[in-house]
Amino acid sequence: MNITFNNQLLRRSQSLIALFLLCALIALLSDKFLTATNLWNVLRQISVNVCIAVGMTLVVLMAGIDLSVGSVLAFSGAVCAGLIKYGFAFESLDLFVGFTVLGGILGAMLVGLLLGLFNGWVITKFVVPPFVATLAMLTIARGMTMLYTQGIPVSNLGPELEYIGSGWLLGIPVPVWISLIVVLVFVFISRRTAFGRYIYAIGGNEKVAFLSGININRIKLAVYGLAGMLAAVGGVMVTARLNSAQPNAGMTYELDAIAAVVIGGTSLSGGVGSVTGTVIGAAIIGVLNNGLVLLNVSPFWQQVAKGVVILLAVIIDKMNRKEA
Amino acid sequence: MRKINLLSGLLLLMTFWACGADKNDDGAAKKVAVVISTLNNPWFVVLAESAADDVRALGYEAKIFDSQNNPATESDNFENLIASGFDAILFNPTDADGSIVNILKAKAAGVPVFCMDREVNADDAATSQILSDNYSGCVELGVEFVKTLNGSGEYVELLGLVGDNNTWARSGGFHSVVDEFPGLKMVAQQSADFDRNRAMEVMETILQAQPDIKAVFCGNDAMAMGALQALQAADKIGQVRIFGFDGAADVVEKIGEGKIVATGMQYPKVMAQTAARFAHEYFEGRREFPQRIPVEVELVDAGNVAGYQQ
Repeated sequence: MNITFNNQLLRRSQSLIALFLLCALIALLSDKFLTATNLWNVLRQISVNVCIAVGMTLVVLMAGIDLSVGSVLAFSGAVCAGLIKYGFAFESLDLFVGFTVLGGILGAMLVGLLLGLFNGWVITKFVVPPFVATLAMLTIARGMTMLYTQGIPVSNLGPELEYIGSGWLLGIPVPVWISLIVVLVFVFISRRTAFGRYIYAIGGNEKVAFLSGININRIKLAVYGLAGMLAAVGGVMVTARLNSAQPNAGMTYELDAIAAVVIGGTSLSGGVGSVTGTVIGAAIIGVLNNGLVLLNVSPFWQQVAKGVVILLAVIIDKMNRKEA
Repeated sequence: MRKINLLSGLLLLMTFWACGADKNDDGAAKKVAVVISTLNNPWFVVLAESAADDVRALGYEAKIFDSQNNPATESDNFENLIASGFDAILFNPTDADGSIVNILKAKAAGVPVFCMDREVNADDAATSQILSDNYSGCVELGVEFVKTLNGSGEYVELLGLVGDNNTWARSGGFHSVVDEFPGLKMVAQQSADFDRNRAMEVMETILQAQPDIKAVFCGNDAMAMGALQALQAADKIGQVRIFGFDGAADVVEKIGEGKIVATGMQYPKVMAQTAARFAHEYFEGRREFPQRIPVEVELVDAGNVAGYQQ
């Protein structure tokens, strides 16, 4: 008992040590890295990935995967912008509904939730592998974004929304507040609630979880729904940051989210990992992105470097597990 | 069993439809395919939709195909549309070399191909190429850049997608001028994938490492807008001069406000219209077309911006 506990502690602190080493290395090479402005920039830049990756963590803990988050982000971001700017018309009822900024945000989150629930429904009802179901949603949601925006950005959405993307509250950027709240809520859910334990149980051994009376399908439905909703939160943040919804927003964001989850020590085969680990994983990617640009490393090498870091993280994780 | 019968019935029905469609073809309007490199970028959406609209205005059927920036998808598109009997192709290639083989496939099937915006490196494949000259456009921008900075100072460049030939045509044109001036020093060259959000993040970071830069050259206008947002947040609008490329409406507006120095105005609608007209003339019997028609990229700056604002 004691040994496994120590091992888990070691694994968790390992990604933290890696983050510190990376920071130290970049700080050594560039004296601009450890300035307050730059560190706030990094935190603000990772906040979108943190939100998406937290949802992805829950999915991966159940041994699932969600490839659709980047497209769901784009669609819900576009819906947020469209609702705020143009409202919504029920032509058959001859009714027009205008939206406040808060209304637009809630509308976007509802859209994300529904798309996520649809993923979950396809996966549980028709027993489609999550990889395939969410791959389909990746193109469906991207296509819906194109249809909704006609391929053209929706811009100039007003100062309230811009504040959410670029403003500061009590000395901390608003997007950082949002991701902080998301992280705290989901650390609590995953550690302290029955729902959270069921997620780990399903990922550990789905059959045993089923036999011990857990309603597996309901949990899965909820988790994919939450992943969609968190992607929508990311979508609102990206839209707010630019004060404009771009139809090609969020391309390949699913890969960054999966990378954060994996670097953070969550096993793709489910049952092992944590939300806090993912946050560290997202921070490692963010610091790496920032450092490579600060040091003006060629864009070609940057892609190689990111891949190498992911590989290293997974290999170290594998070796640890063998020892345990 | 009943399910299978229903399925075969459906298949049979579809075959009939297919035959019917084939027969209709002779008498009915000619069909023109618009094959576009990507629809994930507003600029190409304008190009594709203007081309389709112009074709329809001339009384033909039009259908848009998206190659998703992938020569393999493009190849599938060509095979499908040749098989389904399209009579002409208005084509925006994904790759200057990789797309040639697709054009040759259409040529072998007797379908004329008119290239728009991007060229292919062959003179005997396409019927005609109506091209936006990215390289020369950026040569002009380079000249304006040197003048604005009086030939000295540190600057950065934001590249588009590093696998895209337009990225390097633009960068190449710009550097062919700017590199002649030893006083102009490029202190960072980073990719922002033609993406506004990415450009803002990269610019935020570059500003930390290089606070003394005098200018930023961006490979498209979406990135110029992203750089503008980062510079605005850092309160450096007057100090760092911004240059874009494309002629997007929001950038033209910012040139009017004096926040962006210049952009290269491209004319997707002119290219689309010319290509559609050529297809029409081809159907009417014309066979001789100039191989390359350059559509000039016009420099927009504070001096002439009024003429471009709606």
